[in-house]
Amino acid sequence: MSLFEHNAPLGGAFEKPKDKVHRLGAMQRIKIPQRRFKDDELIDFAIVGVGSAGGVLLQRLARAGFTAVGFEAGPFWDTERDWVSDEAGSHKLYWNDLRITGGEHPLALGANNSGKGVGGGSVHWAAFVPRFHPSDFEVYTRDGVGADWPITYEEIEPYYDLLEREIPVAGPAWYPWGKPHGHPYAPHPMGGVGDTLIAGCTKLGIPVSAGGPVAILSASHGDRPHCIYRGFCIQGCKVGAKASTLVTHVPDALKNGAEIRDCCMVARVAMAKDGRTDGIVYFDAEGKEHFQRARVVIVCGYALETPRLLLNSACPGQERGLANSSGTLGKYLMAQAGNVILGRFENLIRMYKAPPAHALTEEFYETDPKRDFARGFAVQTVGPLPIAFAKQMMAAKGAWGWGMRREMMDYNHWSSLGLLGEILPWEDNRIELADGRDGRHDARDRFGLPVAQVTFSLKDNDKKMIEFGKNKVMEIMWAAGAVEVVQESRYAHLVGACRMSKTPDAGVCDKFGRTWDVPNLFVMDGSVMPTQGSANPGLTIQALAARTADYLISQKEAILSNSANGRRDMSEPPCRRSLAPPGTFTRGIPHLR
Amino acid sequence: MDERQPLTNPATGEALAKREQPGYYPGFSTLKQKGYWDAATRKVVEDRVSKQKSIRFFTAEEARTMLAVVDRVLPQEDRMEERRIRILPGIDERLYENRLEGYRFEDMPPDQEVYRIAARAFEEMARALHDRAFHELSVREQEEILKSVQQAKPQAAQELWKQMNIERFWTMLVADVVSIYYAHPWAWDEIGYGGPAYPRGYMRLEEGEPEPWEVEEQRYEWGAPSDSISDVEELHAGARDHLVHPGQAGTH
Repeated sequence: MSLFEHNAPLGGAFEKPKDKVHRLGAMQRIKIPQRRFKDDELIDFAIVGVGSAGGVLLQRLARAGFTAVGFEAGPFWDTERDWVSDEAGSHKLYWNDLRITGGEHPLALGANNSGKGVGGGSVHWAAFVPRFHPSDFEVYTRDGVGADWPITYEEIEPYYDLLEREIPVAGPAWYPWGKPHGHPYAPHPMGGVGDTLIAGCTKLGIPVSAGGPVAILSASHGDRPHCIYRGFCIQGCKVGAKASTLVTHVPDALKNGAEIRDCCMVARVAMAKDGRTDGIVYFDAEGKEHFQRARVVIVCGYALETPRLLLNSACPGQERGLANSSGTLGKYLMAQAGNVILGRFENLIRMYKAPPAHALTEEFYETDPKRDFARGFAVQTVGPLPIAFAKQMMAAKGAWGWGMRREMMDYNHWSSLGLLGEILPWEDNRIELADGRDGRHDARDRFGLPVAQVTFSLKDNDKKMIEFGKNKVMEIMWAAGAVEVVQESRYAHLVGACRMSKTPDAGVCDKFGRTWDVPNLFVMDGSVMPTQGSANPGLTIQALAARTADYLISQKEAILSNSANGRRDMSEPPCRRSLAPPGTFTRGIPHLR
Repeated sequence: MDERQPLTNPATGEALAKREQPGYYPGFSTLKQKGYWDAATRKVVEDRVSKQKSIRFFTAEEARTMLAVVDRVLPQEDRMEERRIRILPGIDERLYENRLEGYRFEDMPPDQEVYRIAARAFEEMARALHDRAFHELSVREQEEILKSVQQAKPQAAQELWKQMNIERFWTMLVADVVSIYYAHPWAWDEIGYGGPAYPRGYMRLEEGEPEPWEVEEQRYEWGAPSDSISDVEELHAGARDHLVHPGQAGTH
């Protein structure tokens, strides 16, 4: 369907729904129902969770000719029917089911960091997509804290290149931090918040990146229109300009014969007598229990639901949870410091316009011996809509009553910048089951499964980093000309808790996400990260997923049929650019070499 | 009849008239733009304005208390009565339908229990301190009670408040209230927020410039009613900074 077949500027909003046509963004149309495998059919891959990683894996494996089903706890969105251009009306995009949160610095969950529905968290991410830096993969070697990754930057780099084109990413042609690189699509124009960051940084001599890198189209791309700067990125992009795997990879997955079974909650990974998994047990939308046979299971449920599922899959011989012989399952959970620094200006900003994510600096990313802590932070634009801003006024200023009304009448005078700081992985920051044992809470979901209980506390290095970073962002805000600066403490993103490791005693899975204990069980999502840097994790999650898909394709005999008899070939697979969705990897600027 | 004290002009001390639309953007109406919104959004926002929700979770007694509480957390005496935004039914609906924010703090009972305990505690405080029901207290008396809860120093009903982390309760209460008030198009008009913007989008992104259909800011001075202690100068900045509060949307 072409843009020009419509009289309206964006077709979808004025279009009458047609039977069985599924609308993804204003222009993209796919037909469902799709292929449907039977429960007793032996499929090659059961993928649990169709989010950032699951969407990419499903697309790759289907395109390579495997039978693959993605199980998703939430719905398969029709973006025209289900999403709204409204802050309060977008609540259903998040994983709002109960979880218990505690520790000295308990994390806000739900809307803050987890999605439910096809596309997962990529439906409501702000879509900053910086790469990790080369230093992120050897934090322990360099600084004696955290952990090293079992892979290097060079191993993931071809996948950064590839995914930046598949998304495709808008940003500067020259990006100076980490390993310098460019971006395929042009940077976005500035909004009022980006202007604040640029003004403040320029005054202080801090380099700043304007207009990206973000997974938001600055020019049209196939059947996806460019951004219209309405500022509703984290409410789900009805335009289809912001990338989510729902619009970038899922359509191609379905075209290649993949199935997505939505509104299906996976309850546990089943184990056969030979020490391998033989499928998954799940509940469908009506709450009926099913067993799906599969040769390989890949869990892509993100940093809370993935460890929860493995813990809930404990069985004889693996009583502490599946793939937990190392005892690290659920441990080393990380969130990034996400303090929001708010500045009030005499002039108007109107921060609801333009994507919240449109400018940043990574000048403070690396360890600086002049500071009293390891690692660092980034500074990014944030553009809260009124409800989020009112909550920030409550947290930052204690506003209520007439004070709240007065602060909110100045909404258009405020700008907001976010700290994104690297909190290190600590063993006791963790996810357990709220199963009522050993003093834990007893809380269940509607299927009777214990929910996740999360414990999170900052350590000394984290506190020093936050203090320094917070003050630096406040300095930038003052330098930009703010007349009042306040801040709110919060955390962003969740990674870790099923970390990859070089040896079986130090983590849950190897460098391709294959669990050490169960040869045909994989984990692939943010939970595999040993450290997190100060970069938003989305791009890295997708890059790791594409790399694991290549590994699975290279090793198909050994993994699908167990012909290698437990031996692991750990050689790096070739990067299969031909598996990218059509019309993506050849586009954009030449890569700097 | 509304017998609450009015807003004042700080320069003259005179009462300010009630407004159909308070705020610095006179004549701005997001609802007038609804022809430019997509159908799904239009339905959600129109339902929010027109649908009267009944109270199903709170008992009549609890509702009477909580209505008075909510009226102080988000006062609207400057609005003409027919232009006030109903808040309590939205909280009631969330609790009745068990719509969670995705988590519960380990030192908090379930949200529903929290609100029932709090409603009792507010009544008990009113009885202990003033020997009247909470909704019968003066604005000042009600605000003093709320402020003591905000500061986690309730002067009565200690046994009830002990059943939860009182700071987290205050955070949940204010978050619930602002989530309903600032979801309403009349509140968007008040603060000059453009509202839904699909499929039209925005074209003037910098310098706070209004779109052709938005209006320029026209500020005026106003003072809170003389018996109120909830205005900006009364706030204690930063005191709640160590708390993570519920429901904040992801920002980056």
